[in-house]
Amino acid sequence: MLKITDLHASINGTEILKGLSLEINAGEVHAIMGPNGAGKSTLASVIAGKEDYEVTSGTITFEDQDLLELSIEERAREGLFLAFQYPVEIPGVSNVNFLKTAINEIREHKDLAALSAKDFLRLVKEKSSLVDLDASLASRAVNEGFSGGEKKRNEIFQMAMLEPKLAVLDETDSGLDIDALRIVAGGVNALKSKENATLVITHYQRLLDYIIPDFVHVLYDGKIVKTGGKELALELEEKGYDWIKTAE
Amino acid sequence: MSGTLIDFCKQLEPTQLKLPNALLQAARAGVEFQHHFPTTRDEAWKYTRLGRVAALKLSPVNINQSANPLPSSDTIDIIFENETWYCAEPITGLHIDFSAALETTAWNACSIQGHVQHINALTAQGGVAIRVDANTTITKPIRIIHRIQGEHTGLILHHQFVLGNHASAQLEVFFEGKSQDTYANVLFDFFIGVGADLHTDMLQQTNGTHYGFHTQRIYQQKDSTFALQTLTANTHFTRNDVEVFSQEEGTHTQLYGAFIGTENNHIDNHTYVHHTAPNCTSDENYKGVLSDKATGVFNGKVKVYQDAQKINAYQSNKNILLSDSATINAKPELEIYADDVKCSHGSTTGQLDQQALFFLRARGISASKATDMLIKGFMAEIVGAVKSIHIQEALHTLLD
Repeated sequence: MLKITDLHASINGTEILKGLSLEINAGEVHAIMGPNGAGKSTLASVIAGKEDYEVTSGTITFEDQDLLELSIEERAREGLFLAFQYPVEIPGVSNVNFLKTAINEIREHKDLAALSAKDFLRLVKEKSSLVDLDASLASRAVNEGFSGGEKKRNEIFQMAMLEPKLAVLDETDSGLDIDALRIVAGGVNALKSKENATLVITHYQRLLDYIIPDFVHVLYDGKIVKTGGKELALELEEKGYDWIKTAE
Repeated sequence: MSGTLIDFCKQLEPTQLKLPNALLQAARAGVEFQHHFPTTRDEAWKYTRLGRVAALKLSPVNINQSANPLPSSDTIDIIFENETWYCAEPITGLHIDFSAALETTAWNACSIQGHVQHINALTAQGGVAIRVDANTTITKPIRIIHRIQGEHTGLILHHQFVLGNHASAQLEVFFEGKSQDTYANVLFDFFIGVGADLHTDMLQQTNGTHYGFHTQRIYQQKDSTFALQTLTANTHFTRNDVEVFSQEEGTHTQLYGAFIGTENNHIDNHTYVHHTAPNCTSDENYKGVLSDKATGVFNGKVKVYQDAQKINAYQSNKNILLSDSATINAKPELEIYADDVKCSHGSTTGQLDQQALFFLRARGISASKATDMLIKGFMAEIVGAVKSIHIQEALHTLLD
C-alpha cells in the first residue's frame, strides 16, 4: 500500500530524514518509535504533504501512485489520513460542516454522489459513539474549547467518518490520560480491517498495549535502524533509546 | 488641487430640507473656512485620499415620491430607485414621511462637524423620516434600499429615525446598484428613546466607481439599546463614520462591522463612542479581509468623560490580509477621564492561519474551499450578529 524508499527530507535547509525506507501492506499495523528529534513527526508531515518540508531525494508510492506528485488534498482523497499531534482549533467553522464538506469532496473525487443530510447525520451518530464523543461536540466549532482528550477523540472521529485506507497517527497518545487513551485506541481498533492499514507514531510503548502492532520500527537520526515484532517495543521501554544509539 | 468645497456643493442643489438656521450657518461657515477637501495631513483623513472625490463632475439627483404604495412583503419596504422613493403602506404606530417632515425638535441635540456633514447639510435633496410611537413594537423589519445607478450623479440624503420611549424595531439598510463616477452622501440620525431598542443591519455592496460616504449619528437616552452591523463588500470607495452619543445612564451600544475588499477597493471605518453618562456599556467588533491591492482603514475611538463611572467599553479589530499588496491601517483609541471604568481595545492583523489551512486540506478539502471556510469562520462572529435574513443570504452568497 505504502512504499517509502531511501527518503531524504529537510526543513529550512536542515536534513531531518536521511534515507528512510518503509513498506506497509493492507491489513497491517506498523509502529514507529524513536527518541525526540529522530524525525517521527517529519515523516508524518512529509507523507501528508506539508509544504514546509522539502523532499530532496527518494520516493513514496501509495497504491502504486507517486505520492509526492499529489497535493495535500489529493492525498487525503486517495485515502490517506493524518491524525494530528496538535489538532488545530478553527473558530467559526463547525465540526459537522467541515466534515460534510470533506466527505463530499472525497466522494466527488471518487465519482460518488454527495451524501444526503439524513445519511450524513446517521453516520455522525454512529461514528461519534465509536469514540464516545458527545454529539454536541460534533456541532461545535472545530476543536474550539475542546479538552486535550476531546481533540484526540475528535481526530479519530474524523478518521472514522472519512474511512481512509492508510491512517497515520502522529503521537496520538501525547497528553492523554489512561481512560482517553483506551477510548482512542478502541476507536482505532474498531476501524481496523483487511483493506486498511495503520501507522502509529509514538514515543512511548504505552499506546502499543492497546493498539497491537504487527511491526515495530525504531527511527533514529532520520533512518529506521531496527525493525521487529511487538516485543521490540517492550525491549525499548525497558532499555531506553540509548541502547539503540550505542548499538549503532 | 482641484475644486473647492464650495464649488463641489454648487454642482448640487441647495438643500430642500428645513434645517434650523444655526445648523445651515455652521455648515456654510465650515465649507468657507475649510475651503478645500481635507488632505492626508488631516488626522481624520490620514489614510483616505479625497483627490478623486474632489474632482468628480456631478449633477444632482431629482428626487420624487411615488404615489403608489409598494406591495406587502415580509419587510416594510422603502425603496429608492431611478430617482424615486417607493414606500409600503403605513402601519399603526409607525410613521414614514419624506424630506420635509424631519422633526426639528430632535435637531436641537445635533451639532455638525466635518466636510461630509457640511456638504450634507447644504445639499441634501431629501431623506426618510421614520418615527415609531412610544411603547410600540414593530415586529416586521423596516427595510430601506438605495439603488445607486447612472453616471456622474450626486445623491445627498439625510434620514432620521426616531424611536419613542420603550419602543423597539429592526432596520435593514441596503446600498446597491451599479454606477460610474457617482457620489453618495447619506446621513442617518438615530434618536433612541428611554428604554427603546433598535437593531440595524447595513449592507454596502455597490458596483462600479461609486464613492460612498455614510454617516450615522446615534443619540441614546436612558436604558436604551442600539446595535449596528455594518457590512461592506467589494465597494470601490466607502467611508463610514459612526458616532454614538450615550447621553444618559444604562445605555448599551453594539457596533459590529465586517469589510471585504478586493482589487483597488478602499474601505474606511471610523467610529466614535462618547460615554458622557455612567453605567453604560459599549461593545465594538470590526473584522476585515483584504485581498489584491485593497486598502482598509479602521479608526475606533472611545471617549469616557469625567464622571461617566462604571463604563464597560470593549473594542476589537482583527484583519486578515490575503495578498502582499493589500493594506490595513488600524488605529484603536481610548480616551478616559473617569477613574472607575473597564475598557479594552486591541487590533491584530495577520494572514490566514496556515496550520488550519493544512489541516482542512489534509482532510481532502481543496485549498480554495478551505480558504473560503476559514474566511467564513473568521467572519462568523459578525455575520452571526446580523438579524436581517436578506443580508444573511447576501453574505452567504458572498462568502461561499
